[in-house]
Amino acid sequence: MSRLNRRDFLKTVGLTGTVSAAAACRWDDNRYITPIENLLPYVLKQEDQVPGTPTFYATTVTTGPHAHPVNGRNREGRVVNVGVNPEAPWQNGVPAAALLGLQRHYSPDRIHEPTTGAGDAATPLTWDDAMGRVTSAVQAAGDKKVAYLGPYRSGAIVTLINELTDGNAVFWEPLGYEAEADAAEALFGQRILPGYDLAKAHYVLSFGANFLSGWGGTKLASQYADARNPNLGNFVARFAYVGPHLDQTAANSDDWYSCSASAQAGVALALASLVADKKGTRAALGSALPVVDVAAMALAAGLTTEKLESIATQMASMPSVALPGGASGATTGAVDLAAATYLLNLASGAAGVTFGMGRHYEGPIHGYSDLKALQEELDAGNVAVLFVDDINPAYSLPASAGMAASLQNAGMLVSVNSHPDETQALAGLTLPTHDLFEDWGDEIPEAGLVLARQPTMSPLHNTRSLGDILLTIGKGTVPAVPAADETEDGTAIDAAVALDGEEAVETALPALGYTPENWRDYLSQTWQRSGMVTGSDFEQGHYQALAKGFLEAPGRSLTPPALAGSHSFGAAGAYAGSGDVILHAYPHPFRQDGRFANEPWAQEVPDPMSGRTWGSWGEIHPETAASMDIADGDLITVSQGDVSIQVAAELTPGIAAGTIAIAFGQGHTAQGDYAKFGANVVDLMAATATSGSGLAWQATHVSISNTGEKANVPSTLGGDQQGGRDLAPAVPAAELAAVGDSESAHPGELTGIHHLPRDPRLVETGNLDFYPVPEHPNYRWAMTVDTNACNGCGICSVACYAENNLPVVGRQLIAQGREMNWIRINRYWETNPDGSPDARFLPMMCQHCGHAPCESVCPVLATYHNIEGLNAMVYNRCVGTRYCANNCPYQARRFNFHSYVWPEPFHLQLNPDVSTRQMGVMEKCTFCVQRTREIKGVYRDQGFTTKVPSAAVEQLPACAEACPSQAITFGNLNEESSKVAMSRKSGRSYIALDELNTASAVNYLGRANFHVELDHHGAGHGEEYGDDHADSAHGEDHGDAAHGSDHVDPSHDDAGDHAGDHQDDAGDNAGGH
Amino acid sequence: MQANRPATYAETNRDILRVLFKPTPMFIVAWLVSVACIVFGGYHWYRQVYWGLGTDGMNQASFWGTFIVTFVFWVGIGHAGTLISAILYLVRSKWRTGVYRASEAMTVFAVMTALLFPMLHLGRVWQVYWFFPYPNQRQLWVNFKSPLMWDVFAISTYFTVSAVFFFIGLIPDLAIVRDHNTGLIAKVYNVLALGWRGTNKQWRHYMAAYGFFAAFATPLVLSVHSVVSWDFAMATTAGWHSTIFPPYFVAGAIFSGCAMVITLLMPMSYFFGWKKYVNMWHYDALAKMCLLTSAILTYSYATEYFVGWYSQNPYEWEIFQWRATGELAWAFWLMIFCNCIAPLPLYFKKLRHNHVFLFIITIFINVGMWFERFNIVVSSTAHSFDPSMWRAYTPSFNEWAILIGSAGWFFFWFLSFSKTFPSVAMMEIKEMVAPPVRGGHHE
Repeated sequence: MSRLNRRDFLKTVGLTGTVSAAAACRWDDNRYITPIENLLPYVLKQEDQVPGTPTFYATTVTTGPHAHPVNGRNREGRVVNVGVNPEAPWQNGVPAAALLGLQRHYSPDRIHEPTTGAGDAATPLTWDDAMGRVTSAVQAAGDKKVAYLGPYRSGAIVTLINELTDGNAVFWEPLGYEAEADAAEALFGQRILPGYDLAKAHYVLSFGANFLSGWGGTKLASQYADARNPNLGNFVARFAYVGPHLDQTAANSDDWYSCSASAQAGVALALASLVADKKGTRAALGSALPVVDVAAMALAAGLTTEKLESIATQMASMPSVALPGGASGATTGAVDLAAATYLLNLASGAAGVTFGMGRHYEGPIHGYSDLKALQEELDAGNVAVLFVDDINPAYSLPASAGMAASLQNAGMLVSVNSHPDETQALAGLTLPTHDLFEDWGDEIPEAGLVLARQPTMSPLHNTRSLGDILLTIGKGTVPAVPAADETEDGTAIDAAVALDGEEAVETALPALGYTPENWRDYLSQTWQRSGMVTGSDFEQGHYQALAKGFLEAPGRSLTPPALAGSHSFGAAGAYAGSGDVILHAYPHPFRQDGRFANEPWAQEVPDPMSGRTWGSWGEIHPETAASMDIADGDLITVSQGDVSIQVAAELTPGIAAGTIAIAFGQGHTAQGDYAKFGANVVDLMAATATSGSGLAWQATHVSISNTGEKANVPSTLGGDQQGGRDLAPAVPAAELAAVGDSESAHPGELTGIHHLPRDPRLVETGNLDFYPVPEHPNYRWAMTVDTNACNGCGICSVACYAENNLPVVGRQLIAQGREMNWIRINRYWETNPDGSPDARFLPMMCQHCGHAPCESVCPVLATYHNIEGLNAMVYNRCVGTRYCANNCPYQARRFNFHSYVWPEPFHLQLNPDVSTRQMGVMEKCTFCVQRTREIKGVYRDQGFTTKVPSAAVEQLPACAEACPSQAITFGNLNEESSKVAMSRKSGRSYIALDELNTASAVNYLGRANFHVELDHHGAGHGEEYGDDHADSAHGEDHGDAAHGSDHVDPSHDDAGDHAGDHQDDAGDNAGGH
Repeated sequence: MQANRPATYAETNRDILRVLFKPTPMFIVAWLVSVACIVFGGYHWYRQVYWGLGTDGMNQASFWGTFIVTFVFWVGIGHAGTLISAILYLVRSKWRTGVYRASEAMTVFAVMTALLFPMLHLGRVWQVYWFFPYPNQRQLWVNFKSPLMWDVFAISTYFTVSAVFFFIGLIPDLAIVRDHNTGLIAKVYNVLALGWRGTNKQWRHYMAAYGFFAAFATPLVLSVHSVVSWDFAMATTAGWHSTIFPPYFVAGAIFSGCAMVITLLMPMSYFFGWKKYVNMWHYDALAKMCLLTSAILTYSYATEYFVGWYSQNPYEWEIFQWRATGELAWAFWLMIFCNCIAPLPLYFKKLRHNHVFLFIITIFINVGMWFERFNIVVSSTAHSFDPSMWRAYTPSFNEWAILIGSAGWFFFWFLSFSKTFPSVAMMEIKEMVAPPVRGGHHE
């Protein structure tokens, strides 16, 4: 073989690389009717597509009626991650739906081409054939109906759907918002969903909606974090929750008023009455607010009048907001609950401040009753063609609804879906659609705000846009009405733009019909007609809107809704069924109603509350469990009538006795192999309608029995309590509200942490640090984690999986304790002084210690401290002794017990900036070193010679970017004005396990707690969940502090890593003890 | 003390050499079993290298499992030999003569077995040479701060010195083997005996060298297990981070080593008919060593608990409580029973002198010392600083298979040794009996 010189080598590599890149960009006009000028394949290089450099496309992710602006990060033609859109109208981090949607985008189970039949019996069709079939079926419909059944949709597609189906469209979702819409219709005369602004609330009262992980969109989580932030106005919002189960949202509550879901409406109404009297708003509410017997309502809920009075007093005395129940509060009286919370908001003066119109959702919200109407038409044989779009009634509805059978009564059941599911499996014809990363679209989550969706990469498979499918059918069935001056593609826009811009907008243009050439034209013409694109040049304004991702009408703000009617309150929610345990079904933060069940991340990333993965579990109170002889982790049978499911028992203090809580969304049969874990809780239910248009999810009694076996639903959480370790201390909320994070004379004093004293002999001799203190001349990257802002949703962990190519190991390996998460959420149960359970969340990742215990023990120097303060890990040098991981007190290191694979095409999502790791190698959080390196390069390329300012990197790591609460802040500790440096001076700053002198780069900020006093210890040990000996340890420390001095143990690591500072601090400390 | 009559020179030669080179059927079976164990363990090691350490039971909290447990166990076993041969030689303790050769062999093979484990345990065993500070083009160097690196030096030094000391002790006996055989065996042992003729000059040099190596090996007996204990004591992990570890480990090593010497020599003496050379005199002395070190260990266990409680260090106290009450409490109580309680009857001379009873007790001690290391290695990491990461560890079948293979490895060497080298030091036995004087009184 001749020698290959460097030039030839590079030529060869360049050629083969180009060819393979070209081959990778399969391009098929057949799949994409929309013109392709903005999505050029890589061989024809676009200016904004530089190999090795990401391109960001602003786009929109939708969950139910909520839309979230995000940025798709495209590398070499593939969307590899989703980040925040910095120009968005609000910041909401990266919602779970975006990251799980990303993995869904690359799911091996996606439908690749049009088919007849489904599953194993599917026969591929060409698009022409498939479209021909559906078009002729629509043409042949005659008197029969062409109908559509799909999820909540807003924006242009709704017009197109309604036009094609002649209004026979049902926009419905299983865990939907019918009750809220019903109540709004009754009280305000409009079928809308009111808007909320939690940021202004000093008191948040929730009746069960999971507003921190789904309900209302993640912007509510962001607003809630602002309300809890003592630095934005001197208050910390107090969160009270009325309901039976502490899910991840309710676990954040300060006050838990435990009552059954059926009693929530009564409590809300009683509170509305009490608050109206206190605020003097009863007259304004008139007959809409009925007179209620507060004492009876309190009694029915198992609460006392005093407690209700206390809530009412607080709501009346400060800006407050009441949130309805969502699916968790959907008893048969769900509309009563929603109406009562609206009345409560009106009574408390929340309307126009934290609640109201102006930022409401006004897209169609159909209910279960509309679905029933469609079902009747189906059963009567009146539906010729039914399009089912991306919802799954065959799985989501109770069997007694009989929906699966009725769907098959359609003349032709057409599934327009990108992924298989139980409903698609019934379809005679499947027309696979683009998913959200491939399609054009728009959403109107709030009145006057259009969020734009644009493709972030070319389609992976032989799919089409739903809009194009509908337009093609429309064109095929309705003779096209030629537009006056339309000649060919695009001229319609030109003609419109050719008019005076302003006038063109103001002139009411005729309905679009099916005239636009394709879906993208349809969309842009719709925007043009909306008049929201300002400026004279529509084309330019249109592109600007796409670039920033939204169009917004001016002057949008919350306004008080006008009371336009009244709601007649019915009886409390009723339960049916033979058992003696109340079944409480709730939406899961990741899997939601089950749509993301087939996404490995949604199964692998532990449930925030139970830590359980890959399966279903039922949360029960230890007392209930004891009475049934059930231990944690037992496999239990939950049965209703002759139907039963098996779940793992999860014993938790966060649930009312006599109740079992099971998350929706598991146990699929036809959604893919990853979705087959666990059991579908809906199987236990009967289809019970609410008093309004919705379905009651909380209406079932079940019985429980122990199978005597252990369940295989592994949890990653070990101990439930801190055991006096002060890893997640509580800070008195009143003091915190007063001082915020301003510079404290004694940093950390509010946490009340008394670390074990450092050895005074070492302090005196200056030998506290055995090895030299590392120097960081330029950067000392550091992180601040605000446990008060953190709500435990776990999205940081999902984002880390996406960014850092973390392998999914699956159920068996998690059961063996081999999860690969670089950031985990520790959940500790503490007990408040009043005996109520108090959940503490602590995100834990590599702390990048200045004196890293892992570094000194590695025999081959595979891990070392770099000059920027990172604890660097050289994968190639690692031999796998695992000593580093044993010696890490934070247990942040993860060992590759195997070489893991990414089943195709999941591998396309791999971040090219991060290598994957081989078996036998240790890995851990890198503070997203690839991102710090990138931004330094970008900064230098822009001509700056100074260091990257911390302000530019605050949300740089993937976890920090994804966090809706901005609980994670990143920065350079050497920069004194950086947030990370400032936060270390806060009264609630602490370093986890500081007594080990690790000089950690991560400082935590304590969580506000309304139940602890300043001199209280914070860890909140109670008899039930506490730790006796740890308590006594605290008692001693306490005594020292009490008569020693007023000095409270400071946070030792002031990050400068100066030995002198260490000694000073430690010296003080030694003196104090 | 000696129950049996002293042997003569000729009798000694005959008795000791009799067993060489002529395997009995029972020996062949035992030898084949050890080979089979190696093959069995080797296959499972291959599986582990191929599929990754996921074939074992370790998890993201307990990263060190039975491999490190067994590593420390064998290093500990490897203590008794050098202790008996070197330290007891220096203090002129006469009872060592009958047992020191076999215990030295045990030491060398135990360390050879121990040396397997750092490799068995590695995530990427094909990079094991990176442990050595050899000059290389990439300018990669090792980390001398790491206790594992100290281990590399301590154990390789100990192995080298033990092996050399062992070989030096063998030389005069190798010459005897040479002289009593012909053909190939004589040729091989001629080379091994390094030209030993037993002249006065050779004896003078020999004794000087032996004394030197005895003195050289003595501190290593103490240092090597101290260094191994630093693997734990130098870590931050609560339950490991303790100054008591070096003496505690050394005492434990001698305890287990002496017990293992009895476990190995008792059947050997029985099957080879060596009651005259290895007998109750030796067992009694070894049993007393066990008693002493058992008491030291019991005291150490108590001290650990006392310090854990007295320091009010929540992490340490939690671990000590968990050891005694948690999922692995059975291992803890097994350790306490085997190491602290089971040896107590040895205070009674009658029981100490009961062969069967003593043998059973030494088996208990061997088991107990393995579980002591199991308690230390596994429990501390299973209940470390963050309660959220508490998770117990269970060894997998693959690990047990590899452990069986490693035991097979040890017995393969030991059995092979017993058939090819004199397992009792003939020349030192002869020092204790009357020399064969021409015309003198033969008994």
